[in-house]
Amino acid sequence: MPTLSRSRRIRRYTPVAVLTSCVLLVTAGCGGSTDNSAAGTDMLSLAVLGTPNSFDVTQLADGQQAYVWGSVYDTLLYADNKGQIQPNAAESWSYSEDGRTLALKLRTGMKFSNSHVVNAGVVKASLDHVRATPGTQQNALGSIETIEAPDETTIVLKLKHPDASLLPSLTMGAGAVADPATMKDPSAALNPIGSGPYVLDKSTVNGSTYVLKKRKDYWNAAAYPFDTVEVKVMGDRTAAVNALQAGQLNAGTVESTQVDQVKSAGFGVTVVPATSVGTLVLADRDGTVVKPLGDLRVRQAINMAFDRQKMATQFLRGVGQPTEQIVNPKSPSHDPALDTTYPYDPAAAKRLLAEAGYPDGFSVTMPSLFFSKPFEPTIAQALKDIGINVTWEPVPAQNNTIALTSGKYAMYFTADGLGAVAKDFKNYFSPEGYRNPFHTQNTEISGLLQKASAEQDPATAAEAFKQVNAYGTKNAWYAPVFYVGTSWVTKKGITYLGDGSSTFSTIRAFGVSN
Amino acid sequence: MILYVLRRLGGALLLTVLVTLITFLLLSTSFDSVAASRLGTSATPEAVDAMKAELGLDRPVLVQYFDWLSHAVQGDFGVSLFTSEPVGDAVSSRLSVTLSVITAALLCTALASVALGVLAAWRGGVIDRVAQGASLVGFLIPSLLTAIVLVYVLAIKTDILPATGYTPLADNPGQWLASIMIPVIALSLHGMASLTSQVRGRMIDELRKDYVRTLRTRGIPTRSIVLRHALRNAAGPALTVLSMEFIAMFGGALVIEKVFALPGFGSYAFDSSLQGDIPVIMGVTLFAVLLVVGVNLIVDLLNGWLNPKARIH
Repeated sequence: MPTLSRSRRIRRYTPVAVLTSCVLLVTAGCGGSTDNSAAGTDMLSLAVLGTPNSFDVTQLADGQQAYVWGSVYDTLLYADNKGQIQPNAAESWSYSEDGRTLALKLRTGMKFSNSHVVNAGVVKASLDHVRATPGTQQNALGSIETIEAPDETTIVLKLKHPDASLLPSLTMGAGAVADPATMKDPSAALNPIGSGPYVLDKSTVNGSTYVLKKRKDYWNAAAYPFDTVEVKVMGDRTAAVNALQAGQLNAGTVESTQVDQVKSAGFGVTVVPATSVGTLVLADRDGTVVKPLGDLRVRQAINMAFDRQKMATQFLRGVGQPTEQIVNPKSPSHDPALDTTYPYDPAAAKRLLAEAGYPDGFSVTMPSLFFSKPFEPTIAQALKDIGINVTWEPVPAQNNTIALTSGKYAMYFTADGLGAVAKDFKNYFSPEGYRNPFHTQNTEISGLLQKASAEQDPATAAEAFKQVNAYGTKNAWYAPVFYVGTSWVTKKGITYLGDGSSTFSTIRAFGVSN
Repeated sequence: MILYVLRRLGGALLLTVLVTLITFLLLSTSFDSVAASRLGTSATPEAVDAMKAELGLDRPVLVQYFDWLSHAVQGDFGVSLFTSEPVGDAVSSRLSVTLSVITAALLCTALASVALGVLAAWRGGVIDRVAQGASLVGFLIPSLLTAIVLVYVLAIKTDILPATGYTPLADNPGQWLASIMIPVIALSLHGMASLTSQVRGRMIDELRKDYVRTLRTRGIPTRSIVLRHALRNAAGPALTVLSMEFIAMFGGALVIEKVFALPGFGSYAFDSSLQGDIPVIMGVTLFAVLLVVGVNLIVDLLNGWLNPKARIH
């Protein structure tokens, strides 16, 4: 093969050289144009794990998505960072003595972002629309019989029965107020009209980045220190951590294993010890599908099978703690004494199973869900150690909800966000609650729940719910294993104000500092 | 050639209908779950039934499928059950993100691989050993690992490029290039490994053939022999590898999109599958099939153009 002259050789290598130079030039040239959008403290930039639902007021979801819709819509009430219910669009509220009439007094001067006035008639229309439309919030308003608007600023909710979960619900999606003139328009699903502190900016890319601009005419503007809020959808925690370190986010949650990494990069870290609870729900308390579960001793034995401290340490690595109850540890209805009800004791558990008539144990089929997978080997081993054999049945992610509420599975492992006790207990203990898929009921728990739901005084109600909590733990309606915490990291100048008392995702949990 | 094109188009159409029909039949087992998911955990069975009726999911499956198909051929792909975003708009915006990354990566892959492969076969020696070494390294190191290292060096440590996110080309070409640069480099390095080997091997084969010797004896310049004759003959298999690389990158886009938080097609398809968002799943299936079939068709047509013998198969 002939050799080439130097000049010809250079020409031959030109494509490679051009490509290499192109990469290097573009790389160098882009130094000044990187998207370090979260450099200052006039902007809050954080990531959520999943794409927010539609802004249709009947479809709002109360998870992390509330950072977005909660900035656009006012809610009637507001749960502060200590979990206390405070005035919001409604400046005051009061219950009738029998707990079946709730009157809310709206503040005046509120306007939607399209300048329409917010008044009682509008709020009634918005709530009625949510009540009448199958959607994520319909059930939360299920105890309302009628809504009246006797004057411009008064809303009266007549209830079918006392419902302690109603006030907490009005601090969340069920209490969001949309403009009736626009809320049924299909465009409201992507371009909402609310009376909240922010409007959705046109630079928003649905499903990717939600940009919220502060309204100057908002009645409570001082409560929102950020001119702009940017919520980015990042399904991968590594991407979020990279974005934090590269300055594209100034607040976010990280895995416990990533805390040191972000700390060394100069971020502040706030650990919220409990935001959700990992629980083995022993749903078949009457033994309909798996007969042994109808025996209290069997359910108690299952509770004694778990080395909770070890599981919390191994799985959560410092961001979480063992528990034997499903109540937020910040709640007045939490009872620390209940956490010693079922010490880890496989031998005693086996004795209990034998006493119940199952010396050789039994078998059970549990659903294998995408979020239970990491825990399945440990749970199966713990149960096997006392004689219970688990068969895991794979359930596609889109079928998770219906699988757990269908009554097919006698027991299943899940992780639930810790909300207001009245709401959580309605889900676990009322016959129609989604964590009570076999609709278990008896006079004792019904009585306790009704009494707690009817209490008007917060302190008395907390005590009443404490009794419900004790019933659930002592009768082993579930086998809670651990609280799962969250590590919030924030850039200098931004603080995370929450301590876990309220787990609702609101940007009012963020403040600025020097 | 026209008959060949028509035959290929007919096959593509049939394949598209079959794939979407099978997808819809598979989805039909989850209709109850989809209605329940849309209502949230507290939904009552009555509300689930009402939602199914509202969404039209209570009709016979084939009726629903042909309803979807008849709307789809008119360009109406429905709206997402969860975000209410029109599926056509959502898919096209997300497809543009993925395609811009993959196209740029393929372009870099093709240019670099052809240059390296041809030089390695033609010049041999050090260049050949470097090309073979680079191919081996490219095979061994996954794109994801390369991406992670590049993010650490170019985004976090030196702040040259953004770590995540995407800027549309129309908004700011410079930032667009910056936003796709790391994924493109990571994908290209891996793609180059297989394509360089392919080009090198085929070029060596071609350069050893009799017609090359004949051309040389006629005094045709080496450059012309290599680029005009040998490369053209070697291009067919290389094109096939490139099309397979495209499909592999398209299928693997999810990982890169997740790591870089790119609002692309892969992550959109993945998230909608988790939710059971039927209109979106059908939309992404249709577009994915059309894209894969389209690329294969283009490659077949190019091969037919490069090599007339291919048209008879």
